[in-house]
Amino acid sequence: MFSNEIMNKTKRNFVSPSRMAKTMLWLVAAWLMLGAGSVRADEVKFTATAKPVVTSGERFQLNYKINAEGANFRGPNITDFQMLSGPNTSTSSSVQIINGKVSRTSEYVFSYILQASAEGTFTIPPATIVVDGKNYTSNSVQVKVVKNAAAQPGTGQQKSAGATAGADDLFLRAQISNSTPYQGEQVIITYKLYTSLPISNINVSEINSFPGFWSKDLFQNIKEYPQTREVINGQEFVVAEVKKLALFAQRSGQIVIEPGLLECVAQVRSASRRNSSDPFFDSFFNDPFFNSRYQNVEKKLISNSLKIDVKPLPTQNKPTDFSGAVGSFSFESELSNSEVKTNEPITLRFKLKGRGNIELIDAPKVVFPPDFEVYDPEISNNIQVNLSGVSGTRTFEYLIIPRNPGSYTIKSVPFSYFDVSRQSYVNLNTPAYDVTVSKGDGQAAQITYQGGTNQTDIQYIGRDIRHIKLPPYQLRPIGTYFFRSPLYNLLMLAIAVVAIAILIVWRRTVRRRRDVARMRTRKATKVSRRRLKLAASYLKEKKEFAFYNEISRALWGYMSDKLNIPPAELSMDNVRDILNHRKVNPEVADQFIETLNSTEYARFAPGEKSEVMDKVYHQALDVITKIERELK
Amino acid sequence: MKKFLVILFLLSATFAWADDNQLLIEEANNLYNQNEYEQAATLYQKVIENGYEAPELYYNLGNTYFKLNNMPQAILYYEKARKLAPADDNILFNLSIANNRIVDKIETVPEAFYARWWKSLVYAFSLDAWGWISLTVFGLTILMLLVFLLSNIVWLRKASFWSGIIFLILFGVSFLLARQKHTSFSRDHQAIVFTPTVTIKSSPTDSSIDLFVIHEGTKVQLTDHVGDWYEITIANGSVGWLKEEDIRKI
Repeated sequence: MFSNEIMNKTKRNFVSPSRMAKTMLWLVAAWLMLGAGSVRADEVKFTATAKPVVTSGERFQLNYKINAEGANFRGPNITDFQMLSGPNTSTSSSVQIINGKVSRTSEYVFSYILQASAEGTFTIPPATIVVDGKNYTSNSVQVKVVKNAAAQPGTGQQKSAGATAGADDLFLRAQISNSTPYQGEQVIITYKLYTSLPISNINVSEINSFPGFWSKDLFQNIKEYPQTREVINGQEFVVAEVKKLALFAQRSGQIVIEPGLLECVAQVRSASRRNSSDPFFDSFFNDPFFNSRYQNVEKKLISNSLKIDVKPLPTQNKPTDFSGAVGSFSFESELSNSEVKTNEPITLRFKLKGRGNIELIDAPKVVFPPDFEVYDPEISNNIQVNLSGVSGTRTFEYLIIPRNPGSYTIKSVPFSYFDVSRQSYVNLNTPAYDVTVSKGDGQAAQITYQGGTNQTDIQYIGRDIRHIKLPPYQLRPIGTYFFRSPLYNLLMLAIAVVAIAILIVWRRTVRRRRDVARMRTRKATKVSRRRLKLAASYLKEKKEFAFYNEISRALWGYMSDKLNIPPAELSMDNVRDILNHRKVNPEVADQFIETLNSTEYARFAPGEKSEVMDKVYHQALDVITKIERELK
Repeated sequence: MKKFLVILFLLSATFAWADDNQLLIEEANNLYNQNEYEQAATLYQKVIENGYEAPELYYNLGNTYFKLNNMPQAILYYEKARKLAPADDNILFNLSIANNRIVDKIETVPEAFYARWWKSLVYAFSLDAWGWISLTVFGLTILMLLVFLLSNIVWLRKASFWSGIIFLILFGVSFLLARQKHTSFSRDHQAIVFTPTVTIKSSPTDSSIDLFVIHEGTKVQLTDHVGDWYEITIANGSVGWLKEEDIRKI
């Protein structure tokens, strides 16, 4: 304790003769004590300090001081306060040389910055630290959090009795340009600081959250707050616009903007002199030269809250392509080149210019021909933020590479926005562009080297029903079908009838033909006999030629009639086969052939004619009788 | 020859009227091309009211209702067209597109392979075509019979016997197919739901339990009939009852 005191005093580097004696006395005493060695100067002290009373929302410091180098610092478990930062470590050390004796003291401070949130009295539990293997525990600290008032005086060093600044002298107001905007419409909120006091260190960082709105700070480029003068109730105020934002409501309905918070330091005229127990201090600061009679007071100002009724955009006449743009805009497009060769890039630039929620507007949906290779648009903003709101241009640049020659059309691109002043939707259209793509030389050469064409799959763009069928039609009464219709039955019947008729006619013909054949067969013997009889008469008359002729006719005719084969189809060659086929004894068949042969032969043979003729006659008679028997 | 006979048959019955109706359809086609769908539909309907039908007429009317975004009507007329011309690619294509636009997506229950074959055979040709096929095969059978009966040549008799038997079987099959189609045509057994939302009941009374809900445009098979209630089967095999007023028969 003593050594601390000494250190403090020595550190303060001012010396007055009266003080010197006092100090010397302390020093001697300290030296005596140190010299006695009963008390060690480096006795470890671990203390926690914090402001005993804070207002809610106020930031304050919590310090843990230790006069020795410790390790393994374990901070308290702070639940009642919001910890903004910490623990931050700082070290200070001092070296004293007193009468040739060197003493060294060092101080370590672990500090937290806390923010009070709830009101009440809270205890911050102790922290622990290890020094030279020993555990040290600090004291616990009690902090009382009192209610915050808008113009409640700040605490700390600047606080002093009598130094007041009334709520009337300094206040913050939030104003809105339009409390019933449309959804997406630009409204401007202004925080105005009214003061009749000189102020400094304005901190408006706490005004930055607007749920339900998209906000844009209008004071981005402004170094000085615009100031005006205003007289309210006879009192003159300096009015500074400390914060100005453009707000764009993202939804409709009632939205409440929470009060904004502002911290500043106001210079307040002192009502009385500083009360201090230290006469030396007082005499120093109350010196007329230093004393300005103003005090710096840390002030926290809270603005009013605002209620905003956001109107929904009218649904009537709402364009289908409407994407939420509200304000007033112009929409232009520009195509870099409309006659290109394949694989030469062209750019299509859309320029949206105007006031409103321009930064929130999506790229226009462009219908490019499917053969175009299109890259995502490059979006660039040139937004001017000034005190009247947000305006500027937003550019969408499409890079297009036509891959195939041909003539194409880039369709007109619609853009629609809601014009607040006219209370209606406005439709804008860019012109349609015709692009002629001719075959590029380079690509063609490349293709020939590759030995192929760059084929691509067919891209299907839409899906629709097929077109109606065109005439001719085969109209017919509903419910009439060919199957089982009279015509069908009739045809069925006709087929059967025709078949039966064919069957009957065929059968009849066959029967008739069979009858004819049978007749001929039956008559065959008779005919042949008649012929043979005739031959016999020729034999008697010795008509040689007629005889043989008649025998030949008798044999062939018999065969033809008997077997029902036309005479023209009969010959010497096939008669044996036919007889075999009819199961005639081969010997008899041979005999028949022989008879035929001898008939032919005998006709031209020399010698006794009548004898041969007689023999042939009997041979023929015999063979016909045999065949007759065989074929029965 | 066949076509000629059909035309002859049709012309003999309907010559006087068909001409007027052809003109009506052509006018409706023009209106369709000018996007005047409402009027086109009225004209097409007029032809049907006159008592005439053609697959093309139903198809065009289906297209018109499709353009009017009236999916139940479109599906009804596509199905009617399909009934008359089952193998027509355009009809099947548009029907599938229309079926994609309705609320109900029903998983069809896979049928046994023989049922599938039979059905695909039934659907392979129109009723008229099946009629002609059965008639032709009948004629061929008779021809073979004649050849068999009248020929003396052995191999010809053998060949005609066996082919005659084959033709007889073919005739039986085609006749049965045609008859099945014919009965299905004359007896309505399919319908399209026209009420936007229909609750299917477990039995043909209003007080019975609700089974499931189907929506307009869904095709149902009619399996039974009590009063003005129909027992229906949907494509996934679920069965229930609904009222006649909720559907229109194909």
